[in-house]
Amino acid sequence: MFKHFFLSELKYSFKQPMLYLFFLIVFLLVFGASVTDNVTIGGSIGNVYRNAPNVITIFSLIMGMFGLLFAAAFFNNSALRDHKNNFHEIIFSKPIDKFGYFMGKFSASLLLSTIPLTGVFFGIIIGSKIAPLMGWIEPDRFGPFYLETFINNYFIFILPNMFIGGAIIYSLAQEFKNTMISFVGAMLILVGFSIAGELSSDIDNETIAALVDTFGIGTYNITSKYYTPLEKNTLSPSFSGLILYNRLIWAGFASIILIASYRRFSFMKRKNKKIKSEINDSNQEILNTPKLTPKVQINSNSTYLHFKSFFKLNMNSIYKHVTFRILFAFSMIQLIAGLASGYEYFGLKSYPLTYFMVDHIAGSSGLFVLIILVFFSGELVWRDRDVNVNEVIDSTPHSTLIPLFAKTLSLFSLSIVIHFILVIIAIIYQLINGYSNIELSLYFKDYLYNMFPVYLTMCATLVSIQVIVNHKYLGYMVSVILLLGFDIILLIMDVNSNMLSIGSSPYMIYSDLNGFGPSNIGVFWFNLYWVLFASFLLTLSGMVWNRGTQKTFKERLKSIKGNTSKSYSIIVLANGFLWVLSASFVFYNTQILNTYKSSDEYEKLAVDYEKKYKKFENLPFPKIIDAKYNIDIFPIKKKADVLALLTVYNNHVIPIDSILLNINKQWDLSFNFPNASIISKNDDHGVHFYKIDPPMLPGDTVVVEIKNKFITKGFSNGGETTSIVKNGSFLNNFEILANIGYDSNKEIGDKNKRKKLGLPPKERMPELEINCGPNCDKNYLTAGFSDYINVESIISTSNDQIAIAPGSLIKKWKENNRNYYQYKLDHPSQNFYSFISANYQVAKRKWEDVDIEIYYDSKHSVNIEMMLDAVERSLEYYTQNFGPYYHNQARIIEFPRFSTFAQAFPGTMPYSESFGFIIDLEDEEDNNVIDAVIAHEMAHQWWAHQLVGADMQGGTFLSEAFSEYSSLMTLKNLSKTSMKMRDFTKYDHDRYLRGRSGELEKELPIYKVENQGYIHYGKGSVILYALQDYIGEEKVNNAMKEFLEIYRYKTPYPTSLNFLEILESKVPDSLNYLIDDWFKEITLYDNRLKSAIAKQLDNGKYEVNIEIEASKIKADSIGNERKVSLNEWIDIGVFSDSDEKNLIYQKRVKIIDSLMSFTMIVDSLPVKAAIDPRHILIDRVFDDNIKSISFD
Amino acid sequence: MSHLALKNLSKTYSNNLKALDDVSIEISSGMFGLLGPNGAGKSTLMRTIATLQEADSGSIYFEDLNVLNNTKEFRQHLGYLPQEFGVYPRITAEQLLDHIATLKGVSSKAERKNLVDYLLQKVNLYDKRNKNVKGFSGGMKQRIGIAQSLIGDPKVLIVDEPTAGLDPGERNRFYDLISDVGENVIVILSTHIVDDVRELCTQMAIMNFGQIVFSGAPDDGIKSLKGRVFEKQINKTELDSYKESHNVISNKLIAGKPVIHILNDKSPDKSFKKIEPSLEDVFFTNIQKNNQ
Repeated sequence: MFKHFFLSELKYSFKQPMLYLFFLIVFLLVFGASVTDNVTIGGSIGNVYRNAPNVITIFSLIMGMFGLLFAAAFFNNSALRDHKNNFHEIIFSKPIDKFGYFMGKFSASLLLSTIPLTGVFFGIIIGSKIAPLMGWIEPDRFGPFYLETFINNYFIFILPNMFIGGAIIYSLAQEFKNTMISFVGAMLILVGFSIAGELSSDIDNETIAALVDTFGIGTYNITSKYYTPLEKNTLSPSFSGLILYNRLIWAGFASIILIASYRRFSFMKRKNKKIKSEINDSNQEILNTPKLTPKVQINSNSTYLHFKSFFKLNMNSIYKHVTFRILFAFSMIQLIAGLASGYEYFGLKSYPLTYFMVDHIAGSSGLFVLIILVFFSGELVWRDRDVNVNEVIDSTPHSTLIPLFAKTLSLFSLSIVIHFILVIIAIIYQLINGYSNIELSLYFKDYLYNMFPVYLTMCATLVSIQVIVNHKYLGYMVSVILLLGFDIILLIMDVNSNMLSIGSSPYMIYSDLNGFGPSNIGVFWFNLYWVLFASFLLTLSGMVWNRGTQKTFKERLKSIKGNTSKSYSIIVLANGFLWVLSASFVFYNTQILNTYKSSDEYEKLAVDYEKKYKKFENLPFPKIIDAKYNIDIFPIKKKADVLALLTVYNNHVIPIDSILLNINKQWDLSFNFPNASIISKNDDHGVHFYKIDPPMLPGDTVVVEIKNKFITKGFSNGGETTSIVKNGSFLNNFEILANIGYDSNKEIGDKNKRKKLGLPPKERMPELEINCGPNCDKNYLTAGFSDYINVESIISTSNDQIAIAPGSLIKKWKENNRNYYQYKLDHPSQNFYSFISANYQVAKRKWEDVDIEIYYDSKHSVNIEMMLDAVERSLEYYTQNFGPYYHNQARIIEFPRFSTFAQAFPGTMPYSESFGFIIDLEDEEDNNVIDAVIAHEMAHQWWAHQLVGADMQGGTFLSEAFSEYSSLMTLKNLSKTSMKMRDFTKYDHDRYLRGRSGELEKELPIYKVENQGYIHYGKGSVILYALQDYIGEEKVNNAMKEFLEIYRYKTPYPTSLNFLEILESKVPDSLNYLIDDWFKEITLYDNRLKSAIAKQLDNGKYEVNIEIEASKIKADSIGNERKVSLNEWIDIGVFSDSDEKNLIYQKRVKIIDSLMSFTMIVDSLPVKAAIDPRHILIDRVFDDNIKSISFD
Repeated sequence: MSHLALKNLSKTYSNNLKALDDVSIEISSGMFGLLGPNGAGKSTLMRTIATLQEADSGSIYFEDLNVLNNTKEFRQHLGYLPQEFGVYPRITAEQLLDHIATLKGVSSKAERKNLVDYLLQKVNLYDKRNKNVKGFSGGMKQRIGIAQSLIGDPKVLIVDEPTAGLDPGERNRFYDLISDVGENVIVILSTHIVDDVRELCTQMAIMNFGQIVFSGAPDDGIKSLKGRVFEKQINKTELDSYKESHNVISNKLIAGKPVIHILNDKSPDKSFKKIEPSLEDVFFTNIQKNNQ
């Protein structure tokens, strides 16, 4: 019986197009993704093959989510087909067995729903054969296939996921016999998945996130997060660890649901709800309402009444709609889950500022509202016809357009209601968290700017589509294609105008400093353009509104006359005219006044630039030796005038007779070089060539005058510059001066892309040299344009703002109702600084001779004291351990959250508002993110500004790794327990290990780091921290201090080898291997605790016996690993608590064998034992280093 | 006396089906029955009069009003109960009637309430006014349907196949309601049940293949057949041969045996019994003529 139903279900589906269609969709998507460079899924870039097992697995996982919809179709159909055809009464009266029927159909659907997903495998296999043949992708981007990749993926992910989704959908279908509910069920599973994703925003929650993920996508991502490119190319997923547990949990859950559903299933018709609710026609009391003759008339007032009645009826029916309620509930759950997790860094969260709430609401409602709008647009337009009440309604004397507008408005008010209920939830969240600064006006304005026009556009467009298409499901299809598919088409065609993607506008970000600016004008015009477009479409669709019986398009065209009055036609035309006007205005601003290029055009331009100008790479240019600035910032006009007088010097042995100048098109530049005349201009590349006649001779010094004006003209497609804004302008010196010489930063960096475009391979950085000649004359920050120079500036801004330039404030005055400031550097510094202007509060503190100043927005005063403390502590530690501070001031300057970073300029540290000013530190006892970030930037005042690496490999080691290390040391000084630091370094460990997993070219040992963040921040801090743990804080600091003393403010610039030479002299011979292992090679450890057994001794103490397994691994640049022999000192230790806070015993032991045992005696009750308890060494799996102790 | 005149209405669907073929009728106040087999074009005609569908050619005049060009004005005088009267889900009987009353121009809230109450009582559904209409039985729904069609005291009331699916009791109650409407109202009742017309209508028309094959008073139709209809009970096997040799207008089974009616000026032989013609005979006679 089982076999019969199983086979007949299969046979039925094999005859239907659905199976093949789904297969084709998956096949084409994967095939397409694997044969073009424009699509990269699963990080198949750099050294990872396009068909690597890791990539195939990610394809399977992502397609599996689409697969859920396939599953919904197959399982739902098979559960409901007999019902729908009203065949169930016939079939159920036959003597068939329940198991065979229920499970036969289920199993067949399970098999069927996995078939389309095998399209992943076919897509990638065929893609990997065809792409190289056709020359789409280089053959060496494809690696070998592994059979186990396919088998494992099928049995670990595809089949179980379809089983899980299928069981839920099949049970829902059996229970409710309603297709809609089955599909909502499918969506529900997707939401569950996305909530699991929210959970994994902090390392601490990873395990839970891995287990609750319905599809195992997050689980796989977490288990593979440290995969090196080599591992991505070779390892297939396996049934082990978190993946195994996750699969067992969810398969078990699904089985329970399936069994429950099976037990409820019965061939007997359950008491049908409809029958139950049918109302009996009973006898009743006779009331005699007298028949009065009401006044019946249609006049101008009735239009309003009709509208109101239609509107009320529509709203009423949507709110009671089960689909609406479910979707709404889920957007609320999504919001709450997002609010409840959402860690930013170091397991901390910001205060629930209103703008974060607004972001959260947009994030959690967006997709749901879109689904609701698409679904109900069809539902509303078709409601009368679907329930057959249309003829009655249509024959009443209402104006034809009233229902159309009433439906659109009902749909729109849905979006309002959803939004405002979410706002209320957000406000409640703010209040629960004790945050009382609820900016209702921001909630409202955000709605007005961002949501209102988009939703209005969507509603009107969707309704129009349904009306014009005049076929419900075709209408849905067109809607989905237009909203989603169209963007993909534009992407493929490389067109990215916001004028083409429905409801789009430039990106706008709200900040406390700067409000909605600077893109708000563009956003307003785009919004207007879209709203006019949608209302035009809507009024146009009103002309072909189908009143009465279903009409063909021709008939509807014919009835336009009857449907529309003359005045209406005028409204439509006027609307269309306004739309065309707004379109022209937007087009003029975004395509003519402010042009932009598509990514393909940029690529082409970059190739062209390299081909044309590479030959001038070695053209000599003079060095800047002194700079004077005159800068006027006009915040409201978004305008800046710059006058720079640069003293330059020919430090070459040959005369300089020509200059290549790179112009930034947003600036209007006048370049006044003595004796220079322009000989050629290339506007595409913004390259100007000057001839200097007579040439500048070696040793000559001249003053160059640069006038540069930034003028904001209209608005642009992608949003406005964030450099000059209403409040919080932030310019750096590179931006306001034109760039001299061939700019190698414009070259395309990606090695695969270079190969495809026929460019020669490019080295990321000059090679590290031992005995450095002229290459050490330039550092990596200023690249030879200057060394340590003096800077003087006069900067002015509007009368309510403070402007800041590098150095001490010499003078300040008011002139023409503007604020003027004169600054001068106290000590020659790197030619690398910023000019900032905003309306600031200033907090000051004096530390010795240094003015500590924090410039902040009046709303962000909460953490200012902590920031002052942090600066002070840094100054103390660094002056004590490394040497004097050469500026008279240390400034932290808040800038709007257009980006999230902090940066160190000489004596000045701009710091993003979203990166510390608003972080909630109330429950943090000792050190925290502010301390870490400020200490890092402060450390740059030594490591980057007093001493900076030569422009070659290893350069950033001397600044970034040193600063991160210095920062950790200030934190360490602050920490009360030895375990606290593990909470900080774990983020550095994670950063390094994740970073190397995503390496595009090659991982290098740190002394040759090529500006790779994960190495110089992540690994650099970890190994320097470990080193001071092994040889002592003082020794490492002394080495750094000595190194600084030799190279401080001097040229030529040092290299990492210069430092290692000094460092090696501080390391005892027994630990000398560490320098090679950690600094000159890539070394990882794989330590674990195999057992930990304790017993109480007679004297009351405890003896802990542990068995450890250790290995040391050397890796090459792409992740090839080999185990090497052990001769290491590694810590072992015992905790007295399960939270691993009390380390009651620690000993550094010599490990010479991969398997060893140790005995420790401790005074109090041991709970956990560990190898490397403080996580000093780089270990990909640290969790297994610690074990709970069992007692004999 | 109201007056509705249909002139030369024609409508051909895109599949070349001729639903209305030069239809012209004059209808005045009272009950007008439109008889015809399924697919004759009755519903098309009804929808065309109800302004829900446009004719390819022809005109409709209500008094002096050109209906097809002044749909909005005509709709103010119109009550319509379609063949399948559906209702919105998740809405009560009271809400539904209130909505339609608003649409028909009953602007005062109090008057609307009074009217809805009155109609609900009249159709015996007052105590169900707060129940979801979707859950009503077919008969109850149909009563809501007639209630809504009476809103605003229409001068033209169109009811399309109103009794299909109703049990005899419900059907009687339904006709009681219909026959209650004012004297000066044109009621157009389309049906394929001959008895409905005979019991209710003073005027009638018979439609087949989009054409009006008969129009006039039911009695006139019957009179025209007087003395020409004969009946005989035969065996099933003989049916075909009778059909060949006689002008058989109908046959039906009585107690399992076919009884045929034939149309002839005189009795063909003694086995045939002369009977009083019924409206059914009128119907079949006209249909048959048209079929040939």
